[in-house]
Amino acid sequence: MSSTAIETERPSAVTPRDLARATATRTRRSAQVKLWAGAVCTALVVVPVALANVLPLPGANAQDLSRRRLPPLSEGHLLGTDQLGRDLLSRILHGGQVSLTVGVLAVLVSGLIGIAAGAAAGFFGGWIDALVSRFLEAQLALPLLMMLLLVVALFGPSVTVITCVIAVAQWPEVARLTRSLVLVEREKPYVAAARVLGLRAWQVLLRHVIPNVVRPASLVVLLLLAQAVLLESALSFLGAGPQRPFATWGRIISDGQAYITTSWWLVTLPGLVIALLVVGVNLLGDGLRDRTRRRKGAGA
Amino acid sequence: MPTYLARRLGQSLLTVFLTLTTVFLLVRLAPGDPAAAYAPPSASSADLARIRAEFGLDDPLFTQYGIFLRDLFTGNLGTSYSFHAPAFDVVMDRMPYTVTLAVAALAVTTLVAVPLGVWMARRADTKRELGANVMTIAGQSMPDFWTGVMLLTVFAVLFPVLPASGFTTWSGLVLPTLTVAVLQLALVSRLVRREMVSALTSPYVTVARSRGVSEHALTWRYALGNSAVPLVTALGTRFAALLNGVVVVEVVFGWPGVGSLVVRALETRDYPLIQATVLVTATLAILVQLLVDLAYPLLDPRVRLGKAA
Amino acid sequence: MTPSPQSASPEHEPPSRRTLLRWGALGGAGLALGPLSACAGPTGAPGPGTLTLGLNRSLVSLDNKLNQFDAAITVQRAVRQALTRIGPRMKVQHVLADRFEMTEPTAWTVRLREGVRYSDGSPVTVEDVATALRMYAKVNGSFILGLFPELPTVEPTGERTFRLRTERPVPVLDRLMANIHITPAAANRPEELQSGLGSGPYRVVKANGGAGEYTLARNTRYWGPRPHVDTVRVRFVPEEASRVIALRSGELDVVDTLTPDSAEQLTGLPGVTVQETSGVRICQLFFNFRKPKGHPLADPRVRRALTYAIDGESLIRDVLTDSADPAEGVVPLALEGAVRTGSYTYDPAKAKSLLKSLGADDVRIKIIWESGEFAADTSVMEAVVDMLQEIGVRARLQQFQPGGDILKWRQGRGGDWDVIGNGFPGTTGQALTSLQGMYGGTAEKERTRDTYMGFVVPHIEQQLSDAAVEVDATERNKKLVAVQHTIWDTWPCLWAFAPKTLLARRDRVRDLDLLTLNSYDLSAVRLEG
Repeated sequence: MSSTAIETERPSAVTPRDLARATATRTRRSAQVKLWAGAVCTALVVVPVALANVLPLPGANAQDLSRRRLPPLSEGHLLGTDQLGRDLLSRILHGGQVSLTVGVLAVLVSGLIGIAAGAAAGFFGGWIDALVSRFLEAQLALPLLMMLLLVVALFGPSVTVITCVIAVAQWPEVARLTRSLVLVEREKPYVAAARVLGLRAWQVLLRHVIPNVVRPASLVVLLLLAQAVLLESALSFLGAGPQRPFATWGRIISDGQAYITTSWWLVTLPGLVIALLVVGVNLLGDGLRDRTRRRKGAGA
Repeated sequence: MPTYLARRLGQSLLTVFLTLTTVFLLVRLAPGDPAAAYAPPSASSADLARIRAEFGLDDPLFTQYGIFLRDLFTGNLGTSYSFHAPAFDVVMDRMPYTVTLAVAALAVTTLVAVPLGVWMARRADTKRELGANVMTIAGQSMPDFWTGVMLLTVFAVLFPVLPASGFTTWSGLVLPTLTVAVLQLALVSRLVRREMVSALTSPYVTVARSRGVSEHALTWRYALGNSAVPLVTALGTRFAALLNGVVVVEVVFGWPGVGSLVVRALETRDYPLIQATVLVTATLAILVQLLVDLAYPLLDPRVRLGKAA
Repeated sequence: MTPSPQSASPEHEPPSRRTLLRWGALGGAGLALGPLSACAGPTGAPGPGTLTLGLNRSLVSLDNKLNQFDAAITVQRAVRQALTRIGPRMKVQHVLADRFEMTEPTAWTVRLREGVRYSDGSPVTVEDVATALRMYAKVNGSFILGLFPELPTVEPTGERTFRLRTERPVPVLDRLMANIHITPAAANRPEELQSGLGSGPYRVVKANGGAGEYTLARNTRYWGPRPHVDTVRVRFVPEEASRVIALRSGELDVVDTLTPDSAEQLTGLPGVTVQETSGVRICQLFFNFRKPKGHPLADPRVRRALTYAIDGESLIRDVLTDSADPAEGVVPLALEGAVRTGSYTYDPAKAKSLLKSLGADDVRIKIIWESGEFAADTSVMEAVVDMLQEIGVRARLQQFQPGGDILKWRQGRGGDWDVIGNGFPGTTGQALTSLQGMYGGTAEKERTRDTYMGFVVPHIEQQLSDAAVEVDATERNKKLVAVQHTIWDTWPCLWAFAPKTLLARRDRVRDLDLLTLNSYDLSAVRLEG
């Protein structure tokens, strides 16, 4: 009985050390690490890109042919200069504005198309589902990059066209996820209740089902943003970027490729910036997903 | 089973057909003139008109499409404008290279990702697992053309131990394969990890463990065996995607495959070649998907095709 | 309910499941790799007797009816030969012919060399020449046809002799015939030949036109001196950076048609030599000559004023890394018959004041070009925009992807533009061919938009066609000099340059004599060690 005092203080044999080693804690901790690391990496790229116009930098297109291909840390040029003596840092940051805008817009558009198509397919089933599913399947088998190059050639390489093209490339992912979420959701009692109340099918879908799936579906958005940035740079690399002298990340790299044996920084640095951003965004997305999965697990 | 197969084949045929039609229209609507790409810059308008007539490009789109379909059914995909040879033959000349690269990349991915995924599952949420996870994510986050150029810089420029381009020796396969594999690693290893984690906590594993089955056998035979279906599905999908997705890597490494062929065919507006490439790659990709589906009952005796839905 | 594999009794399990899978995987791999075993050997580095060439364009066949670019000539001529060839210093040399003379203004007498034969031992006949000419005539879109004012007809006069006859005088027929490759008459067809025999020092032992890879072996029955190298491998390496790396590592022995940047990277490396000759191609920023009267750019004085904005010296030095010559005439000086007519000077202040005095200081310039039209094209364009900006002229760029609509724009059917970046080849080595191609536009040609950027000046065209049929060489040269000066005074270009022909080789490659036309005689090349 003398030990009761101690036992009320510590009613279980689980020590803080055990708690710290528990799976749940570890999952939470690694999700947090991912979130933090992701946020830091993303901010490292996004903040300077957003501030590119205010930072004291030479113009992205200001040439100085006498100061060509200076290595990084040269006077006045933190990351050196390119083949026409333009400041590489400034070009990367201004190029980032184009690349990021395209990425964000593309994800928004693909999110809209994907949620609409996926929700319709999941909710109504029947021929709509068959049609959407066939499209999803076909896109997997398609030579995607080639189709994108064709479409860019068809409509001309403008920011709008490239955005749309990337959006079209990405909608299947959102659609597939939304469809599966809606399939689960539509069997729930509240849907039946809404129907009984006399709402039309599309009203039920719009007012009740979609709001319930948007949150989980939007989780993939960050992962899509990462892919969109990569796709945009791949298109630019293959020559289907916005008109010159607009800098984009892919173009800076493809222009610099001719100099890899003499000027390593022209390819390495822009690539590192892309990688840093994409790693950041991927980690953020991953962390967010892990966290929700844990919450869901705890709720169930 | 036969009805299932027939339906699947029908659907696949339809997909290929629609794809081809889309491409047929897209290339013809896109600006650019095959005759201009074909003829020398000094060619006169009359020359170009003659070439267009020879290619049948003056006919209305509908007629051209009819002729295309008729030829398609007789197995004729036309003559490539830029290679002056049957388009199908040109594609088949290059296909082995792309397939080799895709197979090699997938093999490397599997060989690394499966053990890695298993390892990650058994050490789920430890610091080391987190580290491995971040590494694979980093691999997935690098633009493939950049990874390629970086590998080139290191292994062909700084330490010239591997060839820079083409496929004249087997060592030429190393860098492109690595570039592709790095990209796929994160996806596959995470899939393996997820499947393994849920498999290792399943009742049958607990039962088997209580019956004294060794941890080794539990992991590799019980859990991994039951993760085979999702794994093969994912790999099949990856393979299909790779056949079309290695364009950039092929361009960087001068790989004489279908991807770099496509870029060139687009640049010369080589309509027959573009169509032939699309037909061959789409067919192959769909065939692989179909094979994966057919492999389910082999991997998992519980699956009976066509009965599930 | 989850049945573990152990609880599933063996007889319920399909017995062949694993085996089936295994065989399937093996079969798939075999199918995929089968064709490759023929293409790829285990070793990559070129052997002691093998010369490896890295071309940046794909050689789709060894015929030249439809497929002719500079570097291809080297390989094509190693297999198939013509009656003549253009040798060092643009001189005509005899190959399959040992006599090729103008005996009348419209007739040339030709004799085939004694003992010339194909790699199977059969002799080269007059009929082969006649058939070759007929076949070239029937091909649509041939580059070669555009070079000939008219194709000659063959009149046999003996077993080895014949006359080549034309309607009007073609004073350079001996040079033009260097482009007609001779192959056995029976195997010649009016299309790009995918295989077949030639009389050259090498024969094809392995060809993959789809991938642009060829292996040539010494022709043991070659009629001429024995070539020094046993085997020649031709590879297609599209990425310029890869070609540079592959030459550095010794994977390739020769890379031709280098860009200025690659040449700069390769110069001074141990084991590598960069060779250069002056080039015959002219790259221009050509004005649009379809501007309506009254438009500033229709005035030669405005065009001239704009040329002062371009810092040609800096472009050549910094952007083209000294691998080009600034244009000092209307065609490259390396061409036979080309003369100096003036030069471009850089004087932005003068450009500004001239434009102002002409009332054209608000002129805006749109520059169009197709990617890859010339080496370092994008850098040149971006630099030019910056220079125009310096004198207060707003300039815009529109870049076309290869295969895009540049032709339509060139013809003035795509949209309005002011300056086009364009390269014009000098395939025959004759100034006259280039001059006629660019400045020989007529009103009739302009109706079908077949003139060079709308350049139609009747008296220039007249002077050019006069010179073209002039049989007397000195008289012809005099006429050519006069017309080049007249052309220069119209200020057709914002700026122009003649890129040098650059080639890099490993040091073990000897006796490679790079010609101005960007080709070399493969049979003269030696390998050391």
